[in-house]
Amino acid sequence: MLPAPPVAPPVVRVGGLTMRYPNGVTALAGLDVAVPKGSVGLVGANGAGKTTMFRLLLGLVAPTAGWVEVAGRSVADDPVGVRSRVGYMPEHDCLPLDQSAADLVATFGEIAGLPARAARQRASDMLDLVGLDEARFRPVGGFSTGMRQRTKLATALVADPELVLLDEPTAGLDPVGREEMLGLVGRLSGFGISVLMATHLLDDVQRVCEHVVMIDRGHLVLAGPIDQLTQRTGVMRVEVGGGPADGDGRDGAARALGAAIGQRGVNAALVDEQTLDIDTSRRDDTFDLVRDTVAELGLRLYSLSTRHRSLDDLFVHRGPQ
Amino acid sequence: MSTGPLVGPPAGGTAVPGALGAVYDRGYRPYVGPRGGRREAALAVWRLSVRRALGLRRSWRQKVFPWSLLAIASVPAIIEVGVAYAIRDDPIEFADFNFTTYREYVGVSTALLVFVALSAPDAICPDRRHRVLPLMFSRPLTGADYVWAKLGAIFAIVFGFGFLPQVVLFVGQMLVSDGALDYFTDNADVIWKVPAAVAVLAAYYAALGVALASLTDRRIVGGVALIGTILVSSGVAGAFIEASDDEASVMAVVNLLALPLGVRDLIFLGHVTEDTGMQGIAGGGILTITGYLVVLLGSLAVAFARYREVDL
Repeated sequence: MLPAPPVAPPVVRVGGLTMRYPNGVTALAGLDVAVPKGSVGLVGANGAGKTTMFRLLLGLVAPTAGWVEVAGRSVADDPVGVRSRVGYMPEHDCLPLDQSAADLVATFGEIAGLPARAARQRASDMLDLVGLDEARFRPVGGFSTGMRQRTKLATALVADPELVLLDEPTAGLDPVGREEMLGLVGRLSGFGISVLMATHLLDDVQRVCEHVVMIDRGHLVLAGPIDQLTQRTGVMRVEVGGGPADGDGRDGAARALGAAIGQRGVNAALVDEQTLDIDTSRRDDTFDLVRDTVAELGLRLYSLSTRHRSLDDLFVHRGPQ
Repeated sequence: MSTGPLVGPPAGGTAVPGALGAVYDRGYRPYVGPRGGRREAALAVWRLSVRRALGLRRSWRQKVFPWSLLAIASVPAIIEVGVAYAIRDDPIEFADFNFTTYREYVGVSTALLVFVALSAPDAICPDRRHRVLPLMFSRPLTGADYVWAKLGAIFAIVFGFGFLPQVVLFVGQMLVSDGALDYFTDNADVIWKVPAAVAVLAAYYAALGVALASLTDRRIVGGVALIGTILVSSGVAGAFIEASDDEASVMAVVNLLALPLGVRDLIFLGHVTEDTGMQGIAGGGILTITGYLVVLLGSLAVAFARYREVDL
């Protein structure tokens, strides 16, 4: 048997993280979460604590309680060291409008600690990467919203961070700009750059992230791989046919199947005469049971699938984890 | 700081083979070169601010003012050297010509106040107005580093603009004098007095300019606040002096324009002159230094307090 592949350490770990502001507002309340490497969505409504989380990750404020570790470094012990390995893209406008994109990105590369020559080279590469190579010598003030967002992304990436914090990267973008931005964000983990993307647009997270961390009013709602979380519906949808006709001449296959598995202790809800939603949470062998029962009744099995939940479903029906 | 090649191998790149070779999608190249910390970050902000104040990498309009000011500040020195050269053979006939002393020339640098009123708000206010600070402070840079970098930039330029004309004056006078070495030895004390006095002036202007500019995100407000504060304090001090019988008053210490000139006088002469409005007053020198330090340290306290906490 082959040994299990080594598990990469999380890029962010927080424990008992609490942030209470002097005005009495509790932005984060005892948060415990480990953010794995890769693309991770930080999801929550406005006021959920996303920006506070970013401030704490960057070491700009000290938590009321708890600890934060980014890329294996304690933020409390070495905030400057953490910031030298983290890129940040704010949601709001933050660019000096009278500078060219090349000057701007290079300057922030230097402020991140790169030598001047390397910063200019990296700035050129990053503007190329985000598709602004042609416009690099134009003042940022003349850029469209999409170009400014991409300039901000280039600024966040110029020092080759281990982790990049993106705050609502698609805010204010038109559909084409949004597609371009999501395409860029989706490529980053392939470059070895972990992404923590704060947003309330769950569709964006579902498209480009592998993991999600959902917080609400400072509490962790859920965290985990999106694939697994969206499978946890506990409902199987079955389409069958070829059953005995009922009094109105309609196919009674789904009704017959529901009655048969009901006798074996499994709940089912009729969707239509051929479709049935079956509860899979009570028995581990529900799939086998359905297959066998369909065979015993002589029905035709058209489809059998686990119903996937969307992140919207998870967020709307959230509860503390 | 580690060392190594500036870029690493491409990540995510692909090679497309062809008949004559291969076309590479460069992909993403990680950076594996040296990385600096707070010092390098602060130096980068300093360089950015100096470039901005001098109009470098900006349009020609932004260059006109600072370089014109340097030229204007240098004109008296050039004229003095020219006159000294012209009358070198007949100094008796032109004995009444009043050459500016090195001490007085430091006072000419007061004109740099206009430069500070424009450049300090220009270095400070746009960062707050355009919300650039979150980008800055998400780097290995603290609020204190940022303030030191901005202060250092304004100080360096004011010092340079105040000191360079004095160098022109000194070297020029030395060259046109009968004996360069004699001139040098006769005036050797200015070698330390001039830079010390100009540094006093530059530190004062930089601190006051940065402190007032940090209170607003509008450049015009920052500039007007500096000029206005200086003029109002000067007017108030003038009123006190007018009201006194001997044209000097302890209350002249509120004159923010005269305080650095008073320290300059102490450096050059060991006592304050009529420029401060405190000549002849017992303890005038101590009072001048105290007033200078209160303004300087108070300004620094305001500036650092404004950047103690940073927000996203």
